[in-house]
Amino acid sequence: MEIAFAHLDERTAKFVLSGATPAFANVLRRAMISEVPTLAIEDVRIYDNTSVLFDEILAHRLGLIPLKTDLSCYGPREGCGCGGAGCPVCTATYTLSVEGPRTVYSSDLIPQDPNAAPAEENIPIVELGEDQKVVLEAQAVIGTGKEHAKWQPTVACGYKNYPAIRIDENCDGCGMCIDECPRGVLAADSGSVKVVEGRLESCSLCRLCERACLASGIGNEPAIHIDTEEGRFIFVVESDGSMPVSEIIERALQYVQKRSDDLVEVVNEITGEVAE
Amino acid sequence: MIPVRCFTCGKVISTAWEEFKERRDAGEDPKEVLDDLGLERYCCRRMLLTHKEVVEDLFPYQ
Repeated sequence: MEIAFAHLDERTAKFVLSGATPAFANVLRRAMISEVPTLAIEDVRIYDNTSVLFDEILAHRLGLIPLKTDLSCYGPREGCGCGGAGCPVCTATYTLSVEGPRTVYSSDLIPQDPNAAPAEENIPIVELGEDQKVVLEAQAVIGTGKEHAKWQPTVACGYKNYPAIRIDENCDGCGMCIDECPRGVLAADSGSVKVVEGRLESCSLCRLCERACLASGIGNEPAIHIDTEEGRFIFVVESDGSMPVSEIIERALQYVQKRSDDLVEVVNEITGEVAE
Repeated sequence: MIPVRCFTCGKVISTAWEEFKERRDAGEDPKEVLDDLGLERYCCRRMLLTHKEVVEDLFPYQ
């Protein structure tokens, strides 16, 4: 199995995974979305809210704010030494106190631990008019995307099969497929058609070119064939800012490894074999 | 209020709202503003394009 990065920064990553089964590609995708824990606001104590939003809408909006998460400092509340009461190891506390008229932003949330501050500073939470105010205390806990989407570290995380475009010799270079391609993958090439260099991965496998080729009256078989490469996938992962993408990928892979090790152990226990 | 995140993909889009509104009202083409703000997926783009702000109308009613 091999991973080749085409692009990697704090927020987004694009890579090609080769030598993997579709099942593994999907396991990795699902692990990144729903098994990597992050912080999100879960409990809100509202002392005063005279804004136009109801308490529960306010709490929901607070929950959706991505928080910077250092997983070496925080652990899940379940099984924490405090017994679920909330301590600095499992809970990040924030206070917010704003009087109108002005807009309340995520930067008005004052974290007790500066390392768990909101990932974006200018998320509008609520707009306050004259004589309106909001005073509240919020507690963020570690959770996973499996329970609620607010704990997902990723946005728009997915993969597609690696395209393989084959152009037969009987292509007459009519150019119908070039005009039809919405991604600009194809170009004319001395009486035939070729894939533009570096554009192959943009192909969305829509097969409009195959249809255009047939419509040009070439016969019963199109001269261009769109196929997929077996065992090769193009991944796109985007982080919501809670942690760098590289950490999300790493933690997802560690999760997959741990789960499969656990399975081996259980199977060995049942069959009575000793683990190697 | 503008939703904090895109309903479909979950990207935080509310941070782009104020600039989008300002520039759209100034007569700029919404397409170009959205491109500038780095919203490339159509799910995120529709969040801003189709939003109608009503909080100010509700102020008198608390």
